Amino acid sequence: MSSMGRIIKPQTASPQQTGERILDSSAHPAAEEGHIPANARREFLKSVIKKGFTLLAVLFGFVTLRFLYPAKIKEPELRYYALLPEEELPREGIKKAELTYKKNDKTITLRIFLVGHGDRQFALSSSCSHLGCLVSWSYHKNLFICPCHGGTYDIEGNVVSGPPPLPLSRLPLKVQDGKAFVGIRV
Amino acid sequence: MFNWAISRFNLKAAHRTFLQRRLPLNITYLHCLGGIAFTLYLVLLLTGMLLSVYYVPSEAEAFQSVLNITREVPLGFLIRGLHKWSAHLFIVFLLLHMIRVVLHRAYRPPRELNWMAGTALLIPSFASGFTGYLLPWDQKAYWATVVGTNMATTIPVVGKYLLYFLRGEADVNGMTLVRFYSLHIIWLPLLTGLLLWAHFHMVKRQGISGGL
Repeated sequence: MSSMGRIIKPQTASPQQTGERILDSSAHPAAEEGHIPANARREFLKSVIKKGFTLLAVLFGFVTLRFLYPAKIKEPELRYYALLPEEELPREGIKKAELTYKKNDKTITLRIFLVGHGDRQFALSSSCSHLGCLVSWSYHKNLFICPCHGGTYDIEGNVVSGPPPLPLSRLPLKVQDGKAFVGIRV
Repeated sequence: MFNWAISRFNLKAAHRTFLQRRLPLNITYLHCLGGIAFTLYLVLLLTGMLLSVYYVPSEAEAFQSVLNITREVPLGFLIRGLHKWSAHLFIVFLLLHMIRVVLHRAYRPPRELNWMAGTALLIPSFASGFTGYLLPWDQKAYWATVVGTNMATTIPVVGKYLLYFLRGEADVNGMTLVRFYSLHIIWLPLLTGLLLWAHFHMVKRQGISGGL
């Protein structure tokens, strides 16, 4: 332990004689004299300072968290957008549609599928439930196929094969005044 | 757990000789000036890292993002205020520390190299102040930088080229802003940190001057 060699050891000569102040509290000559431990005041001050700094650090931690947490969080709300006249909704089969809307001054185009199946009509999101790639409809196989990892869905959006954990999400579709509206969270 | 980490990292052993060493008798609170400046440097680092989360260094958005920090971001005024006032006080304590060293003649051998490290630290410190002053991107910041960088042209022959080097173009514009931002948040803090390490290393090895 070569580094130990440089540590100051308690000295018999008083600090005044050596002309140096010693920071090691156990080396204080008064430690041998009194009833009160000579370093009581030092230990007290030390603990106060330690607690002060700990308090400061904790406080700054809270300030940091408060600063970094977003001030305003806009929860997306459901809005309906007119897409096409009611009679253009497919009775049986798939119709691709594009929904254009504005968010924060940016125009966003969303690709969706309008589906007529059995006696029901509904809208499906085109984003795969696995990792969000855009699926396409294969007329040949009668399936939605995701190009990324080969997930497939049937015409109702239910998973047929591949990694998707959930069916394609259905978007609310309503008909009003002869027009078809699709709801999305903006 | 804290003690465990400290003991494994051997932090205490590495600094015991430094923290428990003999100090000259005539040590006073004046010897704290450099330490205060260093503390302010740490405050500047922390608050600067926080500010960089919200600040946008672009010609069109810089001013708005500073307004956003002061008005909208929770406690943003506090972090920005801390950064601003720490920057002012950093320079003040740096100079006070320097005056203390001059008065105590602590620059004399064997500490002359440490004096040089200390004076070298003035360069990135003042440069940080100058580059940081532009970042709010308001009228005051803009014209201060126009005038400040114009000073470079007074140097014969190379002055003009130095000006272009500083501004990134003929005028102070978005190029200058990004340039100063980069200097302010990467180059200068790193350089300051490196010089501080050298400074403290020499204090540790040479000890504190016995004074007058």
